[in-house]
Parts: sequence; C-alpha cells; structure tokens
Amino acid sequence: MTEPLVSPLNPVPAAAPALPAHHRRWLLWLVAAQVLFVLGVAAAGYATAALGRSITLQTEPVDPRDLLYGDHLRLHYQISELPGSLWRGATLPRRKDAAYVLLEPQSPGDYAAVGIYPAAPATTGQQVVLRGSVQDVWRRGLRLRYGLERYYVPETMTRQMRHRRRLRVQISIAPWGQARITQVDTLGVVR
Amino acid sequence: MSRNILETDGPEWVRRGVITEVQREQLLALYPPEANAIGLLPLLGSLLVLLSALSVVAANWQSLPELLRLGLLLATLVAAYAGGEYFRRRGNTNLGMGLVALGLVVFGVSIVLTGQLYQLVGYDLTGLLAWAVAGMGLTWLYRSRLLFLLTVIISGIVQGYNTGQLGVFSYLTAAGTALGLGYYWWRRPDALLGGVLAGGLLWQAALLINHLHVKITWFFIPAMLVYALGDWQADRPAGRALQGPPLAAAFLFTLGLALFGESDFYAGQLRAPPVPYLAALGAVLALSLVGKQRRGRLSGATDWLLLLPGFYFTGGLPLAVATLVVLYAYSGSVLLRAHQEQNPDRVTLGTVLFVLTTAVAYFKLTWGFFDKSLFFLLGGLLLLGLSWWLQRRAARTQATANAASALNASAAPKP
Repeated sequence: MTEPLVSPLNPVPAAAPALPAHHRRWLLWLVAAQVLFVLGVAAAGYATAALGRSITLQTEPVDPRDLLYGDHLRLHYQISELPGSLWRGATLPRRKDAAYVLLEPQSPGDYAAVGIYPAAPATTGQQVVLRGSVQDVWRRGLRLRYGLERYYVPETMTRQMRHRRRLRVQISIAPWGQARITQVDTLGVVR
Repeated sequence: MSRNILETDGPEWVRRGVITEVQREQLLALYPPEANAIGLLPLLGSLLVLLSALSVVAANWQSLPELLRLGLLLATLVAAYAGGEYFRRRGNTNLGMGLVALGLVVFGVSIVLTGQLYQLVGYDLTGLLAWAVAGMGLTWLYRSRLLFLLTVIISGIVQGYNTGQLGVFSYLTAAGTALGLGYYWWRRPDALLGGVLAGGLLWQAALLINHLHVKITWFFIPAMLVYALGDWQADRPAGRALQGPPLAAAFLFTLGLALFGESDFYAGQLRAPPVPYLAALGAVLALSLVGKQRRGRLSGATDWLLLLPGFYFTGGLPLAVATLVVLYAYSGSVLLRAHQEQNPDRVTLGTVLFVLTTAVAYFKLTWGFFDKSLFFLLGGLLLLGLSWWLQRRAARTQATANAASALNASAAPKP
C-alpha cells in the first residue's frame, strides 16, 4: 500500500492543505492588527497619563472586602452622586444620557463639581471637564458613572487596605476626553 | 467504523468466511492508525513546561515592569499563531488549530490585562468587541469549526460583560455574531455549529431583553427569527439543529407557564402589549412559513403551536388549561410526525415530551382533589401505562423501519 488513499470512504481527514498565499497574507494582517490593537490600548493609557491634565478626587469610604473577591476595589466618588440643581440642560436627563461634569479645584486641592452639562462646556482657567453617563435620576439628584469606578490594586497597597478608608484618587484627563486613574493614596481610617 | 472493531473482530470475520484475509487487510488500510498517539508524550511534556513558565509569570506579574508585561503578552500572542501555522503546514492540523485558538484566547487576555495595567476600563466597548471581531476573522480565514465555536462563546462572554459590568448592550457585537457567524453557517451548514450558534444568539437575545427591561415574551421574536432562518436553510439536519434551541426555549417556557402561570403576578410579567407583539410574531411566522413552503416542509409548521400566546388568558385555571392544551398539541404533533417519517430518534423525543406534559398536567389538575397517596399511585400508574403504550408504538415504528431498510438492502445488489 504505497499509493495514497483518495477513497471517499476514508474517515481520517487528509492533512489540511496549507493556506493559499493570499490567505496567509490575510492571516499576517489579522495577527498584526491584533498586536497593534493591544499596543494601541497601551499607548492610549500611556498617552492619557503623559499628556493629560492631572486632578485629584476624593472617594467615599472604600470597602476593603472587595479585595477578598477579586483584585480590584469599587470606587465611589464624591462626584458620583450630585444634586440635580447642578444640571444645566434644557430638559431633564434620562438614564444612559451622556453628561459632562465641570470640575473646579476647591480649598484642599481636590476637585468638586460646579455644573453638569448635556454637551461639553467651555472651560476657564483651572476648570476641567470629565465625561460620564447618567445612571439614575431622581427628584433631587443624579447618579453618574465615569468609567473610573474600578481600581486594580497593586500588591504593595493591599496591606494598607485592611480598614474602611477614604481614598484620594489622582486622575489624568487627556485632551481628547479619555480619563484614567494614575495614582491612589489612602486617607484616614473611617470607623 | 473504527479501526478497533476491525482489529478485534476482523479475524473472526475471516474465519466465518464473511471476508477474506486480503479484504481484511484492505479494510485495515482504509483506517490507518492515528499518528498522534506517539506525539502525546512530548506534547504533555511541553504542556508541563508551559504551565511552570505560566505560574512563574503569574506569581511575579505585579512586580514585572510594565513594558516587560506587555512584551510577554504580545510574544505569547505571536508565538501561538506562528506555532499554529507551523504545525498546520506540517500536517498536524488538530494541534495547529488548537494553537491558533490559544492565540485568540491570548488576544482577549492581552486586552483585559493591558487595560488593567493602565487602569483603563470605562465605558469603552471597543476593546472586547475587537476580540469577537478577531474571532470572526480567524473563523472565516481558517474555515474552522473549533474557531467558530470559540467565537460564539467569546461573543457571549463579551455581551455578558457589557451588560453585566458596563451596563450597556453592544448591538455591534450582536449584529456581528448574527451576520458574521450566521452567514458562515449559511454557506457551510453544519448541525453542531447550528445548535451552538442558535444557543449563542438566544443568550444574547435574553441579555438584550433583560437589559431593556421589557416583558420577557419579547424574547421569542428574535428567538423565532433564528428558527425561521433554519426554515430557509437547504441543508435539513443543519436547519433542524439551528431550530433546536429556540424550540427548547419555547417548550420550557410553556411548561413553566403551565406550572407557575396561574399566579397573575408571574403572568403579568409576561404580557407584552398584544398588538405590537402579535404583529411582530405574525411577521416572523409568515417568514418562517414561506421558508417552509419553499423547502417543501410545511408539515413542520406544527412547531409554531408552542408560540400560541396562551399567556393572554387571565389567571388560574383557564391559563393552565390553555397552556396544557398547547403542550399536548405540540408533543402529540411531534409524535405523529415521527411516526409518519418513521424516525426512531424523534419518536423518543416525542415520547419524552409527551410524558413530561402528562406529568405536569396530572400534577396541575389533580393535586387539589386527591388524597396524596392515591395521587402518587394513580400518577405512577398513568405514567407507566403511557410509557408502555408509547414504547410499543416506538418498537413498531422501529420494526417497520428495520424491515424497510432490510428490504432496501436486499433489493440493492440487483441492477
């Protein structure tokens, strides 16, 4: 039996022929695109920190038990819930609408909200704009989400997180609107 | 037939004069022994080495410099694809495709870990969408069932993460799954892929219904659209496989309605506004019927019995009776068609559905009236009797089918 079997009965699939040349080119493109995409994610993170404006925000006390279930903390900022009187739109916002929060530095250096806009407002001097989305609307206030609510905790910090603490979070806002956490410091223990 | 049977029983066949020794050798040559058995040890060895490397990296991940972490991820990604292509060219298709699939998984892991590295999460959906798109691209490129299955799962995970963690539904991911993979399946019909694709699409449809906070019966509009696609597919087994999950969902839903539907609290959650719902369902029904008619399978229209909107009946007994009638009509029609087609598998399926329906009906309608021991006694007897009768019918069908095939076989050698 030296001649190759070409019987249709043969249940063993013949070795798949190598992809034709143009398919191989497509594969190269596809893999290159994946590598570039991952590099792009990294570059966006790097550029946001390098080119962005740095502000600090205070969080509500953080529950350290989060770390028992995973490697991240759920952050709840003081600007996560804002009074409805700050809304500057013509009509009331609805869930999932975009919201642009105008921030200004307050006395200890942390930023606080001075207005919520349906479209990006003009800024003066020290003001910055953080983009978020409306999560909940009730009579007196809004709950907002900024995409900064999750912090992957480095191991060096895990030991400090035995107690409920407020955190001071340093955030970098890129000129194109993307924001990321660059540093997190612990404040006093909250009993 | 497997080589094992030939090897063990072959000499006996030769002894009895069924085949000659030469024929036995020819048959054996048709089923060459699988070559990969020898390659197993080095494979296991390299797997262990890989695992040790993985655990070293995982244990020190946090303390590695950022660029090194990024480099490691990208190197693994490229190495997996390159290795896959290398082994495929050497003819080791399974190992090759396994490595390509590993590359796809590593791509997703790289996106997530790089995002964590730079604390990028946010409302940005594109990251995970890119993962699903890469899976679709690879599926089309390699024409691989493994990659198809993986991509269906990845799309489901991406959508689950979007709705669960980010609170948004990615319509692009859903459309990509439906069009990209749906069209692939349409061109290369396959039963297994059809079932998995339908399951994945139903999962995303359920997430959408949950995300939109609409009445859950709306789920059956996309689900039955998937079903209707199966009607238009020329390849019958593949079409049937695609229709399995929507039908299973409809049957379980109706069964649940029969069991728990009498409380108006639950039924109230189900009632979509009648006019738009029935209009949409009617449109899908029309689409499905035209497909069935084109392919000459109008008898399959009985599947739609399950979609009769019995839940618009208000409260208590009328609803229970209506849903039970629907369930009986459906399982009865499955049995009837199975007997007509003389298809033993479908007879079994129909029997199971019929017995299940009877159990529910008995439980629903008589619990209040009977003393409990009598209830169990009568219920047991009813089920036993029913299964005996159905088994007899099934055996008869099987016998007829066997006789028919025997007749065909004896008729075959004639010119």
